Amino acid sequence: MAKRVLVACGNGVATSTVVAAKIKDYCADHGVAIQVTQCKMLELHDKANDYDLVVTSGKFKDADVKTPIIMAISLLTGINEQATLDKIVEALKD
Amino acid sequence: MDAFLNGVSTVFQALINAGAYVMLPIIITIIGLVFRMNIGKAFKSGITITCGFVGINLLVNLLKSAVSPAASAMVANFGLNLDVTDVGWGAISSVTWASPIVAFLVFEILGINILMLVLKLTKTMDVDIWNYHHMMIAGILVFFVTNNIVWALIATAFTAVMTLKFADWTSPLIEHFFGIPDVTLPTISYTSSIIIAAPLNWVIDRIPGLNKVNISIRNVQKYLGIFGDPMMLGLILGCAMGALALMPIDQIFLTGVNVAAVMVLMPKMTAMFVEGLMPISDGAQKFTTKHFGGQSLSIGLDAAVVVGNPEVITTALIMIPVTIFLAFVLPGNRMMPLADLSVVTFRVALVVALCRGNVFRSILISIPVMAAILYAGTFAAPYLTDLATSTGLSFDGQIASMAGPSLTQTAIVFWTCISENAIILVPVAVIIFVAVWFLVEKKIGMEKIEAYAAEYEEME
Repeated sequence: MAKRVLVACGNGVATSTVVAAKIKDYCADHGVAIQVTQCKMLELHDKANDYDLVVTSGKFKDADVKTPIIMAISLLTGINEQATLDKIVEALKD
Repeated sequence: MDAFLNGVSTVFQALINAGAYVMLPIIITIIGLVFRMNIGKAFKSGITITCGFVGINLLVNLLKSAVSPAASAMVANFGLNLDVTDVGWGAISSVTWASPIVAFLVFEILGINILMLVLKLTKTMDVDIWNYHHMMIAGILVFFVTNNIVWALIATAFTAVMTLKFADWTSPLIEHFFGIPDVTLPTISYTSSIIIAAPLNWVIDRIPGLNKVNISIRNVQKYLGIFGDPMMLGLILGCAMGALALMPIDQIFLTGVNVAAVMVLMPKMTAMFVEGLMPISDGAQKFTTKHFGGQSLSIGLDAAVVVGNPEVITTALIMIPVTIFLAFVLPGNRMMPLADLSVVTFRVALVVALCRGNVFRSILISIPVMAAILYAGTFAAPYLTDLATSTGLSFDGQIASMAGPSLTQTAIVFWTCISENAIILVPVAVIIFVAVWFLVEKKIGMEKIEAYAAEYEEME
């Protein structure tokens, strides 16, 4: 069963596409089956709980979101990118 | 020189006439090749972007055919003249990338950024090529109106320098308020608000009584959360327009569903642009980090990374209905806010950071910020519509968005550069900007801005 990952950024278009592409590539290389959806951070409040993992391109805080959230700004800046990708793969392992 | 410019513009004219579907793949392939991509990959990027453009074209037409009848009936029924349709920033960015001069402007902006880094005039390194569209639209509109490449280059240069400096000056707020160090956000949809917000915030600080108000607003997600869902927001707005047009009930619902569909599908089409440009941005990043990696600089990112802040979301959710209300009551406004209501977050993010999370004050300041966007959008609509039509988007009526020439920063550059008195007005605008630059860095000083931003952490 592929894990459901929700990637969110400000407009659900720009940075989330970059983050989603990197996660997809990395997970494919490490044999983790995932299904990625993109959205706006504004939508997380309603959507996040339907997913196994939420990855955001920036800071996000919401007490009602129970799904684990990983902040992946490093995938945009390139600084500590590897650590974040490992963290994501770790979170998706059973 | 003149002969050269004429030659260049003849080539452009031929490209313009060929249309965006032919031009986009060619231009993107060329940009890709310059950044050392292999030709196969570069061409694939170009085709990906063009497919996104085809999709956006379809959606803009769908939106126009869904809301045009309603908009004209609203004029007839209630005298509500909201015939300028907000088609969204994605459509405007696609028009930008489809311009024949885009390749020149990309390298102009990158060149200016590198030059300013070398001269230590900025600490921002902006290689997020995708977001260059915000800086290029001024130049592209100026080129379209004046047919003069020199003014287009000036417009883009002025916009780029302003954006990089605004990004520099507001970086302490990103570090302390949003908690993200070592980045700056040179995204005009975000920086532009500072032009109205900073002076207003200064004034409010000096009004006794008002300067103490800080109302914390909770549970906004619960009651206004629906405005954060583009699908439901589109449905409501479409149905409301249909109802104001006194349409039969099935037509009201149909209008709602069509607007909802556009709001949901537009980001997916726009994402194809980002996908296509991603390898090019990677190339630019590799190039610049190789040459400037050692310097202490801040990486310029898309402002998308900060709009998840809870106060920003709260302010945006309140400003969405307020903006719709403003559109109906502001005399002379003709822009009907639609597609870009879902990215109001960007327009208010810097206001919220400047007010250090004070939602009451953020809303107070966001009202003139959004009003300025509506008016600037209304005034620029004829030019933007003609530009869009020239690239192959076609519809009756006029279009706008909350990006491009609707943003205060871009509007200043656009209107001064196309003015008959541009030769006087542009230098005046530049002098004012340089004066502000002097004021911020020499009179106020970055230390003071840093301290102001850092106070937020003590307030918590």
